[in-house]
Amino acid sequence: MVVKTQSKGLTRVQEIYQDRPHRARELKAGGKKVMGYMCIYPVLEMLTALDMVPYGILGDIKEPITKADSCLPNMVCPFVRSCLDLGLKGKYDFLDGVALAHTCDVIEKTAHIWHIYLDPSYFHFIDVPHTTHKAAQKQFKELLKDFQKSLESFTGKQLTPPVLKKAIQAHNQQRALVRELYDLRKPDPPLISGTETLKVMVALMSLPVNEGINLLKETIAEVKQRKNGPQKKSARLLVWGSIIDNISLFEMIESLDANIVIDDTCVGSRAYFPDVELTEDPLDGLAHRYLVELKCPRTFREAEIGATKKDYLTDLESRFGYLGEYAKDWKANGVILQALRYCDTHGYEVPGIKDYLNHIGLPNIYIEHDYSEAALAPLKTRVQAFLEVIRG
Amino acid sequence: MAPFRSLVEERYQKSIEAAKAGEPTAWCVANYSMGDPILMAMGVQTVYPEQYGAVCAAMGTAQEYLKRSADEGFLDFQCGYARNSLGYAAKMTELGQIPAEAPMGGMAKPKLLLGTGATCDGKFKWFQAMARYLDAPLWVLEVPHPAVGESLKEGVAEHNIRFMVEELREFVSFLERLLNKKMDWDRLSQIINDVIELNRVWRQVIELRKARPGPMHMRDFLVCMNASLFLFGDLKAWTEAYRKVYAEVKYRVDNKICGINTEEKYRLIFAQIPPFHSLKFFDDLAERGWNFVIEGSNYHPPIPADYSQFSDPLERIARFSYQFFTGFHEDAFHDKEYMGYFAYPNLGYARDYQCDGALFHALLTCRPATNQLILVQDRLMKKLKVPTLVVQGDLVDLKLFDPESALRQASAFEETMTHYRKVRKEAGLAW
Amino acid sequence: MTKVVVIDRGGNVISRVIGPTGAEHRHLANKVMEEALQKAALSFNDIFYVVATGYGRINVPFADRQVTELTCHTRGIVSFFPNVRLAIDIGGQDAKGLKIKDGKLIDFVMNDRCAAGTGRFLEVVAATLGLKVEELGSLSLKSTHKVPISSTCTVFAQQEVIARISEGIPVEDIVAGIHDAIASRVVRMARRLKIEPDVVFTGGVAKNIGVAKALEENLGYPVFVPVEPLLTGALGAALLGKEFALKEIEKGEILPKKDRRLEKVTFFDEGDKPK
Repeated sequence: MVVKTQSKGLTRVQEIYQDRPHRARELKAGGKKVMGYMCIYPVLEMLTALDMVPYGILGDIKEPITKADSCLPNMVCPFVRSCLDLGLKGKYDFLDGVALAHTCDVIEKTAHIWHIYLDPSYFHFIDVPHTTHKAAQKQFKELLKDFQKSLESFTGKQLTPPVLKKAIQAHNQQRALVRELYDLRKPDPPLISGTETLKVMVALMSLPVNEGINLLKETIAEVKQRKNGPQKKSARLLVWGSIIDNISLFEMIESLDANIVIDDTCVGSRAYFPDVELTEDPLDGLAHRYLVELKCPRTFREAEIGATKKDYLTDLESRFGYLGEYAKDWKANGVILQALRYCDTHGYEVPGIKDYLNHIGLPNIYIEHDYSEAALAPLKTRVQAFLEVIRG
Repeated sequence: MAPFRSLVEERYQKSIEAAKAGEPTAWCVANYSMGDPILMAMGVQTVYPEQYGAVCAAMGTAQEYLKRSADEGFLDFQCGYARNSLGYAAKMTELGQIPAEAPMGGMAKPKLLLGTGATCDGKFKWFQAMARYLDAPLWVLEVPHPAVGESLKEGVAEHNIRFMVEELREFVSFLERLLNKKMDWDRLSQIINDVIELNRVWRQVIELRKARPGPMHMRDFLVCMNASLFLFGDLKAWTEAYRKVYAEVKYRVDNKICGINTEEKYRLIFAQIPPFHSLKFFDDLAERGWNFVIEGSNYHPPIPADYSQFSDPLERIARFSYQFFTGFHEDAFHDKEYMGYFAYPNLGYARDYQCDGALFHALLTCRPATNQLILVQDRLMKKLKVPTLVVQGDLVDLKLFDPESALRQASAFEETMTHYRKVRKEAGLAW
Repeated sequence: MTKVVVIDRGGNVISRVIGPTGAEHRHLANKVMEEALQKAALSFNDIFYVVATGYGRINVPFADRQVTELTCHTRGIVSFFPNVRLAIDIGGQDAKGLKIKDGKLIDFVMNDRCAAGTGRFLEVVAATLGLKVEELGSLSLKSTHKVPISSTCTVFAQQEVIARISEGIPVEDIVAGIHDAIASRVVRMARRLKIEPDVVFTGGVAKNIGVAKALEENLGYPVFVPVEPLLTGALGAALLGKEFALKEIEKGEILPKKDRRLEKVTFFDEGDKPK
């Protein structure tokens, strides 16, 4: 692949962040197929293996929603509404098709709306099961076979296990580099801010996997060397919650006395930390990673499947223990729980996560926002007061 | 229709009695017949917090439970049924007994919870959140929701059914461990046959409602549907009761007796969850000659099919439930209507029941019942020239329901419905 | 409203001013500050440290530090009531619950989205009844049959009030109902903090004895109100300022940092010129 000499590292990240479709359009002009996907459940390795460019469908917080009103009510996730709105406005016209999944009720319905009103040349919907039961894992593998068949018939190519394994390795390499990037946030002050990291993650969702790998390598090298990284601040925060696809919230938080050192969101660690195990049949590893390892509240989890006794605290620890680990490893002294208004899957989790964090003695606050920059001002007082509470 | 009226109250009494006698009880979500027959075969008494939400709303205790759930940190945009039962469970646990004001004797502390991934994320997230107050284990039943096109591809239906059957088998073995007793498979097989037969008869009643004038208004439908949605007692007796309803409605059809007390001026479809706390609203509209002849598909049995060739009772019930979600997919695919359950069937209903208009209840706290309404509104107009009136409301929060605005718009909407009769004629549509 | 409290090293209040708030925060902050300095016969250079708080805190150009009103209120309240565990602050724009332990803020809840349950709500009701806001409190004490007001939205509550008047219900019973509506709303919000005594009530609405009484009824605990409930935030800011200043002096910093001061003081020199 020819990549013309150009800016590198964080400068390149900034360019991509500001004009996401630019590179995808270039690749398309060069004959590549660009495949849109929403959220973290469509299996990107299959797209990569068939030489397609996976392109994450995101919203635009600065663009008022006008067209989506005619097919999706306003009491649903404003992020999803924004994505659909952009689609209806033709801003995703460079996509050759979309691969969508049953993440939550709203994305499920939006997938079908997208199909009806945008009638893409390729459409596939993966009906992801809601549990990690053994039967669900088997079913998910069957669904991946269905997905594979449909991609093969669209591209006219066979997807052989060796090719798929190569794609898995590439994606795993990218994931390892993401973890390496996140490790640079463990020192105090962190070498890279939460805002910058988020831009990197948005860029990764806009590029083919190999270009993403190069970008990560450049960024890591640059960040390690630079002298003008983030300042030391009193609070080191973990941010949990529903999707954050733009920097406005993180910028607001980091304009205060806080560095965001680790996140559990889906344009972040949630989508990129878990690897795919290279199993003999690559679909086994993929099915396990995407259904069992990805930790989005859309999937039902419990301490022990089918246990006849239930203990609340044990259950909380099994579901949210990884947050405690993150806080320990990244030395976070506070947690911001955030959700988009109308996000049911994250919303139901809030009292339970608070119970868990209070149990382990980690200060936390829940904030809700509606995917608009205007709504961030009152949130700023809450966040600042929370930081004052942490500082004591 | 009389025997159906006491059904809801009796269910709660039975459950309380069972709990007192130390017999197993369960709190369940409406589960599209996947879990209920199995629980029934295992002798578990069930109650339904969703339905109890509607009961509390109608009896006026929902507000207190909603407040309590807010105090507990649950969010105001979440499902009213969920918040009602979370508030109720919080209070019950705090008191160590059923709150005195609880309508219909309340819901006793359950031995298990049954959630599902079917149709609504809340149906397992909400029940999971209940673990803050109840130490009962939760089983989540899987139900596939394939997309219209995907479901018709080779092999897909087979692996989906296989998945459902395996899930049901796991559920049975979970119950056997929990209750320390073995499944009586013959009994289960009989129950499942009864469930299928009961729904077949009930579906025939619904078919009769195509007649002009519409012989059965939605108010009567809502009274009768509970025996099909939530299994209860002697299934053969309830099937018999549905047969009697069939005879009653058939008599009305044959004698052209209208389901409302006035002349049927407009035939309407309602979607999706009615304001159970304010059903009088529909009586006010009935006085104007609005006959609600059909409702959204969520309360209706699936399109009938023959399941007798499948010897495994779990496969029979899995196929029955799968039929609910996919039975209309070939037609939907043909019509390029890719939104399946809760959306496409309403287009077929509006056509087959010759509706003049649609009334949609946009629920501020229920996304699964509201997500697709704008789409359906658009398709009804584009394809069938049927106009829609939208009324804002909520599952349990009376304050959010705005019947006055709908009633204010009623006469204007009548003119609209009259206008579209002409438009449909010009477009060559049958009614 | 913009408030200034000036204290000395011993923590004694030497000047206090309550001025209006306008769209031009920067301008106002300067003006009210000047007034406070005049009262105390001080010059700006005599001030060691300035802490700005409240929604306008980012618009105080001469502040050394910005601290949220939640922390400042806590500090101010604790100076009067060291045993406070819950503070309820109802101001013109918002309502807050502060959970306090050992003199420190440990958790909080806020309502900043909706006028109902704030001072604004009382202003609307007073205007509807043709009364002054200050009259509401003592008037409501005369009530014998409080009327429940069920609407939680300001606009609807206003309509409800009008309906009650036309039914001939005594004004004091309506006002008592309104006070109860505010109190129950705020207490509901505060319940998330798990309420424990002592409970302190501050903010502009704390001057209304009717709301204080309704709070006591809703909480089941006595409610303490400081003498000047409007000034707790500003006082807390001043006390925090003193602590910050002493810490910096301890570290060997020379206060006030005059060069920085002078630059800020130019805002005063610009006088009434718009920015």
